[in-house]
Amino acid sequence: MIEPAVVAAAGVVVGAIVAVAARDRRVVAIGLLVAMVAAPLVASPLPESLSVAARVVGAVLAAYLLWAASHGLHSDSSGSALGLAAESAIAVAAFAIGMSVSMVDPLPGPTVAQAAGLALVALAVVPLVGRDVLRLGVGVVLLVLGSTLFTAAWLGPTPPLAHLAIASLLTGIVGATSVTLGRQPLIEAAAPVEEPTAPATAPGLDPPRPKPSRSRERLKSPSDQPSVWAQEESGMDQAASEAPAIEASPSHTAGRAPASRLQRPPRSAKP
Amino acid sequence: MSIVPFLVVCGVGAFLGMLAAPFPRLARLMGVGALAVAFLAALTIKPTDQLTVGHVQLATSWYAGLFLSSAVACCLIVCILGLAVGWPERLAPAALATFGGLAVAFTATDPSVVFAAIAASAVPAILVAIGARSEAPVVDVSLAELRTLGLIAAGALIASALVLQPGWTTSDPTFVFALAYLALGLAVAVRFGAVPFHVPAARLSKSNVKLGLALSLVWIPAGLGIVALSWSTSLFQRQGEWLDVAVAGLQVIAVATLILGALGALLHEELEEIATYSIVQDAAFVLLALAARDADAAEPTRLWLLAFIVAKSALVAWVVTLSSTHGSSKLQDLRGWFRRSPILGVALIGIVVATLGWPGSPVSEARATLIRLALPSQLQFLGIVAVFGAIAYYGRLIAVGLMAPGELVKSSTGERPRWPQSQLAVAAKSPRTRAARAALRAPSVKAPPAVKAPRAEKAAPGNATPVAARSISGAAGHLRSGAVRSIHAAIALARQLPAAWRLNRRLETSLLVLGISVLAIAIAFGGFGASKASSTGISLDAVVAPTPLLPILGPTTPPLATPAPSSVTATPSGGQVGPVVSATPGPSGSGVGSSPSSGAQPSQLTGD
Repeated sequence: MIEPAVVAAAGVVVGAIVAVAARDRRVVAIGLLVAMVAAPLVASPLPESLSVAARVVGAVLAAYLLWAASHGLHSDSSGSALGLAAESAIAVAAFAIGMSVSMVDPLPGPTVAQAAGLALVALAVVPLVGRDVLRLGVGVVLLVLGSTLFTAAWLGPTPPLAHLAIASLLTGIVGATSVTLGRQPLIEAAAPVEEPTAPATAPGLDPPRPKPSRSRERLKSPSDQPSVWAQEESGMDQAASEAPAIEASPSHTAGRAPASRLQRPPRSAKP
Repeated sequence: MSIVPFLVVCGVGAFLGMLAAPFPRLARLMGVGALAVAFLAALTIKPTDQLTVGHVQLATSWYAGLFLSSAVACCLIVCILGLAVGWPERLAPAALATFGGLAVAFTATDPSVVFAAIAASAVPAILVAIGARSEAPVVDVSLAELRTLGLIAAGALIASALVLQPGWTTSDPTFVFALAYLALGLAVAVRFGAVPFHVPAARLSKSNVKLGLALSLVWIPAGLGIVALSWSTSLFQRQGEWLDVAVAGLQVIAVATLILGALGALLHEELEEIATYSIVQDAAFVLLALAARDADAAEPTRLWLLAFIVAKSALVAWVVTLSSTHGSSKLQDLRGWFRRSPILGVALIGIVVATLGWPGSPVSEARATLIRLALPSQLQFLGIVAVFGAIAYYGRLIAVGLMAPGELVKSSTGERPRWPQSQLAVAAKSPRTRAARAALRAPSVKAPPAVKAPRAEKAAPGNATPVAARSISGAAGHLRSGAVRSIHAAIALARQLPAAWRLNRRLETSLLVLGISVLAIAIAFGGFGASKASSTGISLDAVVAPTPLLPILGPTTPPLATPAPSSVTATPSGGQVGPVVSATPGPSGSGVGSSPSSGAQPSQLTGD
């Protein structure tokens, strides 16, 4: 017979994967809700009903705060940079390591708690280094949740007051994330639209082109791509006036439109 | 049970304060009111009181009560100050939530509850950091605070699990203790903003948090430091190669913070940054206490932390008040501030005295003791360097204040007391409006002729009886009219009081800052029972080591806390690697599911 702790551990890991990989903020909230509700149940024996109730109420409140913060926002989360499959693979690998390693003998709690904790900590690493508010909040929640699972595995049953404190901690983290998330659209709306300026270039060199460094910064469809003229027009005046005509060499034209099309004819010095 | 009112007030106040946030007047009223009630509740916390929640005992102590009272008093003064210099948004509810968490952490006898509560009490720092203004740097600060919180929570929880679990399969058991020590030390260092981790604190100081700096950089880290100290001075006293490496790492961080914090405060121009680096520098003493791993370091650290929370709260209040008085927080704009704001100058001197003391004073001795215990003899000159560094940046502030006033300082009103001009004087100055002209035409108050009447009657000596009667009636009338005039004057004075109150905001805020700096001096010199309370500890101290919860007063002192061997097996100086709290059957009764929650019973903690 499958123990409840195993089912709960599977629920925690699945919820965490969904929360990390999803783009829609409401799906992220649902994933976090599943993980936070299932986490106290990864214990043997199961905690008291009052403790579970405190954790469930905290989880529901946290998910509601995130849901409410996501209401009316224009942009979704950037989602996982690695993708759902990669995140799942990381979680499964960490879970397997957690199941196979025995650092404590005898282990007071269930082994699946240790495995699920390791999986959550592994999933939290990438969001923690990013700058997306929602993903960072999810990463912190998963890190704390993983730590509580470690304590459940290494120390045995968690006292009810500790459950209450953990519920407050998790709700506070998600609440703070929600409030920060609520500020973000205001910032984006308040930010002045800056005209792209021509970068300073040395004579004879191409102006540097901004390259998307991360996958989430890449544009989704070709229709979203600005036209070649829009990309080059701003920087071309200065470059064309200061630099001599650039020889169309393979190194210069790699990945770009032909120079004859991009460059405007040099201005005549004569009136 | 005396902790219950405090917890209830903190919880309800935080919840209602957050609900009332969209309504500024209501939020201010609720914030100040809840803090005042919380202060009263903190004063009523009895030492050695007990409460059982689930399987965990909450045992109050002398030091916990004094720490909470001091912190709540500081927060109350800061929030009252905020009414005049700019209300710190969400500070009051966030601080109440923090104090509630700290109260649980200081009184719980179960280490896992203690560390979960201390992590939860750090959450409100994010709420303060977010603020009301929607600026990109604010989001950066929030992100940094979120990361810091995650590190603190994970570090504290993992450290508690590592230390409390006895059955590690590693060949070198001190490796586990070293990991726990490092996790705890890093959590404290990151929260305090020690030098390699000072960037979030520096960003926070630039993000218009103002009075909220006290919560994020003073009150929360001090609570974390108290909890970490209770383990550092007892559990981590064992010897081991890995543990020595971890201690050396923490010593390096502490020394770097001690020197570079002073340097940062000396080099920066913004008052907020100077205050932040000053706080960071003083936080190095907490790291030194953790690095000392000596029971003798506990008492001076507790006293130092009490002085730290009050003195640094006063410094934050001083910075915000001075910036508000003169309209700038740049030091170059504040030349001559001391001349225009002498009360603030005296307050700054008080803060310096409370922070540094003088040779032989309790706070100075505490700093010297921590240096002596934590650093090798070759590096103990750093204590003198730290003092001179602090004197240098405080002296710079005072020297700039004594220079000839700059334009901005000249244009500000300063602390000079002012009184509202009377209606007549106002009308005389600007008789342009109809009301002003009417006021000018109105008959002015003249002296009644009754004063001269008796003199006229003195000239007629043959008419004595009517003269006496008239003089008596004249005197009565004079008295009557004088009384009426006095009443009118008192009413007029009372009507002018609100205007005078509004006119003298600068003076009032300066007096408030002076008050908190005087409080800091009192506590730094052992007043309000600080010295005696520092000899006691929190409940966690009593669980892991026989630390009394009541001050040692003499032969009538109740028996010291002596944890029973069956429940507490920690040996502060021994090499035994074992559980801190003995495993007792969990709720299910299974022997495997041992719970650390059932450690010391309250009677064992208090000696009852």
